[in-house]
Amino acid sequence: MIHVENLSVTYGDLRALDDVSVDIDDGEFVTVVGPSGCGKTTLLRTIGGLETPTTGSVSVDGDPPAVAQSDARLGFVFQDHTLLPWKTAVENVTFLRRMAGKDPDPDGARDLLATTGLGGFEDTRPAELSGGMKQRVAIARAIHLGADVLLMDEPFGELDEITRDEMGVEILRLWRENRKTVVFVTHSVPEAVFLGDRCLVVSGASAGGAGRVVGEFDIDLPRPRDESVFGSEAFGKQVTRVRSALHDDA
Amino acid sequence: MTVARRAPSVVLPLAALVVAVGVWWALTVALAIPPFLLPSPAAVVARLAGNPDLYLTNAVATLRKVLVGGAAGITAGFTLALVVWAVPVLERAVYPYLVALRVLPKIAVAPIFLIYFGVGFDTAVVFVALIVFFPIVVGTAAGLDRTPDSHLDLLRSVDAGAVQTFLAVRLPHALPDVFAGVKQSVTLAVVGAVVAEWILANDGLGSLILAASENVQVDVMLAALTVLLAIGLCLYGGVALCYRRVAWQ
Repeated sequence: MIHVENLSVTYGDLRALDDVSVDIDDGEFVTVVGPSGCGKTTLLRTIGGLETPTTGSVSVDGDPPAVAQSDARLGFVFQDHTLLPWKTAVENVTFLRRMAGKDPDPDGARDLLATTGLGGFEDTRPAELSGGMKQRVAIARAIHLGADVLLMDEPFGELDEITRDEMGVEILRLWRENRKTVVFVTHSVPEAVFLGDRCLVVSGASAGGAGRVVGEFDIDLPRPRDESVFGSEAFGKQVTRVRSALHDDA
Repeated sequence: MTVARRAPSVVLPLAALVVAVGVWWALTVALAIPPFLLPSPAAVVARLAGNPDLYLTNAVATLRKVLVGGAAGITAGFTLALVVWAVPVLERAVYPYLVALRVLPKIAVAPIFLIYFGVGFDTAVVFVALIVFFPIVVGTAAGLDRTPDSHLDLLRSVDAGAVQTFLAVRLPHALPDVFAGVKQSVTLAVVGAVVAEWILANDGLGSLILAASENVQVDVMLAALTVLLAIGLCLYGGVALCYRRVAWQ
């Protein structure tokens, strides 16, 4: 359970987040959508302990993020794949476990890569992988870490649209099989609706630039979801609702 | 054209070398150039073959200065760069001078070394180390800042320690720049050793060239130069080979 209470984050004179309160249940898939620079990434990074609250608090299962970090309970996936270019796919997947002082478990990493469609590429370096494959390795790395919480910061932001849709289906499958809590930041409304149990709309327009949660939507589309969802009427309606929340605020 | 394109990459340069040596040889014969002005390639080879011990002994003397001085300079430069990088106050105070001192022609310092340390192997080694030092400092310092912030975030997200982060991410990211510095340094080390042998030491290929010059023995000078070229190429090739083993780019 992630608990965010009255969180504000300020960098010097710049207010990035203003009085945000959110609770995220175990196993829930929460998407955070908003325009560039609205503070959504700051929210994610503060939950993950990479930024410090100026006022308010964040806790992960009752502990401050720093404690969750040292227990390897937080698995980040960044927009930039952050794979080490000198390591092979499987070495990259085991890397975070080694850094966290856990048994690297290369056999488990190979199995995981195989189930994410990277069978045969285990010993390939990132330079020879496509953008989508690199991001699959990065996701496998976060899952292999054994973290309960996956914090994803626009992980598909640099992928083409077709790959992006495929990756969405893939991440839902991995989430179903591994039962993680996921916080997924994106600036794509359809992506946020397609993936989430719940979608938070963050915008800075009404508070002088500081990000606030201006809308919260339960996405009641049936699961499991696949590409066919994109064409459904219910999906279109949800997207419209979320869009209007964004535009009402602007 | 097609023949040239299909030829392995060494064939054309090798052919150019053969032609160049051939032209040199033809000129010395055709124009009857006196050997004391420009000896023929055969005469240079004859010098090398006639007294291999002389060239071998001096080559070893020069190589020792290059290797000992080079290793000392690289170690010192790398260490200083680490310290300066790790202590931000020091970085701001000292780094501008390290960059500025690169411009100083280090060769001009040799006569001062002569006064402080006298003639000998040790002085020559210190001089080579000084010349090697700067490219390594600058290369290492630049390389250590090369790690993307997102990679540092990744390590922070599992609470990895500073030493662990340094060894796992910062150092590998720095290696290409460090090696660029080492490649430069190796070339400079040979220059440094030869200059040292003119001013600060009495042995080695540099001294041999200087002595031969006084006796107008151009063939001896060219023979010694050939050996120096071979030493330089071997060292550079060795570093390049090392780099390929650790490189990821």
